[in-house]
Amino acid sequence: MRGRLIIACVGAAAVLGPLIWLWQDSLLPGTYSVTQMGYADPGGHGHHAAGGRSIEELVADPARPADVSVSLAARKERFRLPSGRAVDGYTLNGQSPGPLIRAAPGQLVEVRLVNESVPDGITLHWHGVDVPNAEDGVAGVTQNAVMPGQQYSYRFVARQVGTFWYHSHQISHEQVAGGLLGPLVIAPPTTAAADVVALVHLYRGVRTINGREGDVRVEAEPGQRVRVRVIDTENGQLSAWVSGAPFRLVAIDGTDVVAPTPLTDTAVTVAAGGRVDLEVTMPADGTSVRVHLGGPDAVVLGSTAATAPPPTRRPASTVDPLVYGQRAPLPFDPERADRRFVYDIGRRPGFLDGRPGLFWTVNGHLYPDVPMFMVAEGNVVRMRVSNHSGEAHPMHLHGHHAVVLSRNGVAATGSPWWVDSLDVGNGESYDIAFVADNPGIWMDHCHNLPHVSEGLVAHVMYEGVSTPFRVGGTPHNEPE
Amino acid sequence: MRMVYRVLAYLVALGVVVQAMSMVYAVAGLGKWIDKGGVLDKAVMESDASPFPEVAGFAIHGINGMMIMPIIALLLLIISFFARVPGGIAWAGLVLLLVAIQITLGLAGHSIPFLGALHGLNALLLLGASLNAARLAGTRTGQHVAPATA
Repeated sequence: MRGRLIIACVGAAAVLGPLIWLWQDSLLPGTYSVTQMGYADPGGHGHHAAGGRSIEELVADPARPADVSVSLAARKERFRLPSGRAVDGYTLNGQSPGPLIRAAPGQLVEVRLVNESVPDGITLHWHGVDVPNAEDGVAGVTQNAVMPGQQYSYRFVARQVGTFWYHSHQISHEQVAGGLLGPLVIAPPTTAAADVVALVHLYRGVRTINGREGDVRVEAEPGQRVRVRVIDTENGQLSAWVSGAPFRLVAIDGTDVVAPTPLTDTAVTVAAGGRVDLEVTMPADGTSVRVHLGGPDAVVLGSTAATAPPPTRRPASTVDPLVYGQRAPLPFDPERADRRFVYDIGRRPGFLDGRPGLFWTVNGHLYPDVPMFMVAEGNVVRMRVSNHSGEAHPMHLHGHHAVVLSRNGVAATGSPWWVDSLDVGNGESYDIAFVADNPGIWMDHCHNLPHVSEGLVAHVMYEGVSTPFRVGGTPHNEPE
Repeated sequence: MRMVYRVLAYLVALGVVVQAMSMVYAVAGLGKWIDKGGVLDKAVMESDASPFPEVAGFAIHGINGMMIMPIIALLLLIISFFARVPGGIAWAGLVLLLVAIQITLGLAGHSIPFLGALHGLNALLLLGASLNAARLAGTRTGQHVAPATA
């Protein structure tokens, strides 16, 4: 009887023991620095020690006055969309999406963020803008979360021309979904083409364009060129297609496509967090054009007095940026890479900070055992991002734009395809390259934001740079 | 302990029933929503919001299948060491194995849909195994014989 009981206890311990060990091994400390997390990956170089200058010094010229000044007051509240629907979420200056920030190339943008009533704290990240590291807005990495009653100023020079957006990077999977975001356009003030921003966001499951449900009507003259700047603020990719006129895919992720050809009966996919600019020349006969964004909802261009044309179904074919547009020389030689990294995404069961579940792995390991991709300023960096996790991942590298060299071993032959948000499908492998020209500590993560809290995050870190900010602690920095 | 074993085994069987019902409930709700003009794409799938109420069925399926049922199956195995059910450890082990296979098939079905079909088949095997485990715990001779069957 007693022997049986002992055997039973041993059996139970054999089942429970490894689980308890794995559980306690996964617990994270209350506060930690991302520079102390995981392991340094020198990318084929000799390893150098971290530390040195603080990222707080990596700012825009502090003596230069601002050309564009914006003040944004953030609140957590119940608010109404333009359609009248009430939503629990977050507002900036009383609205969501937040106001459009527009700057001309070369202007210094200064945004004062005031937290009026978001209890968990907030930040703003300038998605796609390669800002100085101290302005990147990642809680626990480049700053502390801005707590209620506090404010924080972001300053950066708008060097890139294109379509961008901004959003909170504190508890981002909740705050972005709740609407703490807005559009940002950097473009010369006068262009011949009409210019329309179409920020697509789901508020608690309801699809909106610029916060509006249903069609957004925009007045356009026959023969006029119209640029529609599509921003996908969601966690999954968006399809866009045009009926009523041919269109061109003129920019991806804030970078112009070289020699874009006209497209008909073809859809464009936008990665989560990504942007595409579509250009339409209005038909001479005055008929309207429907730019579908994810479904029947559309930006309808034409006379707003006319009846909107009916929706069409999504075309079966999709533009492949790998072969679209015309080849052009790159500003660096990716064959002479100084660093070569692998960012391999998988999935396995385990514990993350004591939580059991199925989690994403980076190079075979669960968070926080993730690589720190070490680079030096001026390095040419190549990275192979491959995904065999069972689901697509929109990978977002902060502070840099990378050019796609190949997909599944097939070299790119179209216009240089510069990305900051790249949808890597299950079973796909992309070779990308970038120049390490923006010192700091940069997140390189999946922009399906709940996936970040499931461990799909790594960092690119420059040698000789350190951060005083820590994840956790007081204030409670939680970049995911 | 035998009673605990028996209840846990029945809970696994009940879990399979909940899984089947929640899935069909959600798919039916999805069809109705699309019929009324709703559009399902990756962005909607990845949002944690509820575009239609029956989406709760997907959440129930996921939470029950990936959290609750593995815990019950694990408890069943642990209890089996103490419960002295003839063949009880083997059947509890089989139940846990089938639960693990079921989760694997369910996730793999996202990339290889035919494995999703096997997920449906394996559900029936799991239902059979859990009911048999419960039956074994209820039909034993010995100190706890039910009077009617003695």
